[in-house]
Amino acid sequence: MQNFLPEEVIVEHSSEASPIYKNLRRALPDVPFRFIDDYASANGSANLPSDSFGSAKKKLFLAKHKGEFLKKCPGSEGQVCCNYFVINFASNCPMDCSYCYLQEYLADNASLKVFSNVGDLIDEADATLRKHRGLFFRIGTGEITDSLALEPYTGMVREILPYFAEQPNVLLELKTKSDCVDDLLDLDSKGRVVVSWSMNPQRVIHADEHATASLTERLNAARRVQDAGYRLGFHFDPMIEYPGWETDYHTMLEQTFAAIDWRKLSWVSLGVLRDTPGLKRTMRQRFSRSQLLTGEQVLCPDGKLRYYQPLRVEMYRKMVGWIRHAAPLVKVYLCMESREVWEQVFGYAPSCEKELGNQFGSLTI
Amino acid sequence: MALAKLSLELKPSENYLRDLMDWSEEIALRDGIAIAEIFASKWVYDIATNPRLGRADKVKRIRESLRRMRFPRLARIEDEIQQKIHLLKLQPEIRMTVPRGLEGGRLQIDFSVTNQKDLKRLADKLAAVAETNVTGEIFTLLGGVAGGSEPVSGRQT
Repeated sequence: MQNFLPEEVIVEHSSEASPIYKNLRRALPDVPFRFIDDYASANGSANLPSDSFGSAKKKLFLAKHKGEFLKKCPGSEGQVCCNYFVINFASNCPMDCSYCYLQEYLADNASLKVFSNVGDLIDEADATLRKHRGLFFRIGTGEITDSLALEPYTGMVREILPYFAEQPNVLLELKTKSDCVDDLLDLDSKGRVVVSWSMNPQRVIHADEHATASLTERLNAARRVQDAGYRLGFHFDPMIEYPGWETDYHTMLEQTFAAIDWRKLSWVSLGVLRDTPGLKRTMRQRFSRSQLLTGEQVLCPDGKLRYYQPLRVEMYRKMVGWIRHAAPLVKVYLCMESREVWEQVFGYAPSCEKELGNQFGSLTI
Repeated sequence: MALAKLSLELKPSENYLRDLMDWSEEIALRDGIAIAEIFASKWVYDIATNPRLGRADKVKRIRESLRRMRFPRLARIEDEIQQKIHLLKLQPEIRMTVPRGLEGGRLQIDFSVTNQKDLKRLADKLAAVAETNVTGEIFTLLGGVAGGSEPVSGRQT
């Protein structure tokens, strides 16, 4: 995996006391640090380069987060929801996948930011988790950033993981395309942390998941964290359809289930490539040769483009069949799919988001 | 330039022009050809110079043909479903359609009647149609052809 080396780290004065600042200083000794009073005033939109999203990944901001850290995952309108919560401890990502929805979602605020007020994050989560001890929370940190790609530099997960490992009503998911797991291996997750990988065949990684870990690196990292006592998850998402996809995905699944002990796998999710007309325009500008632009996608009622339904149902059925063959009891769910697709793939759809969420709740020890 | 020339001649709407541009660009990328090659094709020339077609019809036909080139497998399934609906020989009062792009996987059936006798007649026809293999094949096409008509597994615990 490609090392992250920003051109500059820009730090709000109010973040200098943060442990994240100290970690960055230690991990990036040769990178210039610049100090500012306030992120909002320093990050004007003037003089943006033509590829502002790509350029934004070259500077790292350390700033206080002023809004809420813990949010309900918005899901997608009309689709079956898995009752997921998210904590955003950073925004944007050092990697550069050609299909990344952040290209559109963060178009007006693309700066690569890490939030320094870890104490506020934990206080906010603690207030919610204590108030609702009877409810189970599945919380992810990889919605608008990669959970682990910046870990060797920020040490963010090392700061927050010990707190979440102690909470009886939570499962913390760290979702990544990196292999940055070294700093997790000596922590005790107490069965309450799932490290999950977004997976694709090496051909897709090479073509469209720029600066991420290779398939082999991801599988090696998965085996190491499993050996260290973490639970694992895999997200075969976004699945890409192309001539020969079946062979590549089947082989990848075989490699995956050979590399780890699937009996200790918490979940596997499946999702096909989804974008929007706006994201596709950005992809055309930034990755004009990507074959992802040529798939037979149609506009769905939630405003997202997906492969036409019979095609993606066929893809899901094949994937579920291969997974069932290799790992018969593993929990498989679909991400951002309609009830109709669930029924066509599994023969049923969860009655409500609580049903699917509760299935994950029963996975805790 | 071929698309520009065509646009000047046929004056497609903004939405149609966007579709023509996007689809031709994506076909060119997928097939490794130049966009100009697509618009220099004989089928485009034949439609564009057909004296029996008005300007709007020419635009529609070119757009539809380009859509079929851009989405060949989807178009093939849509055609197959239309052929099977035709085989059902439905009464003119019954309209059976699938959503464009097949999203939702639903077969929509519309009919209207003015009396109980007609309602009974159409209901009987639909009941008979529901039993045919052709109807089953339509649902198989809507539900993913190569995966078969059955889902892969039941409820997980």
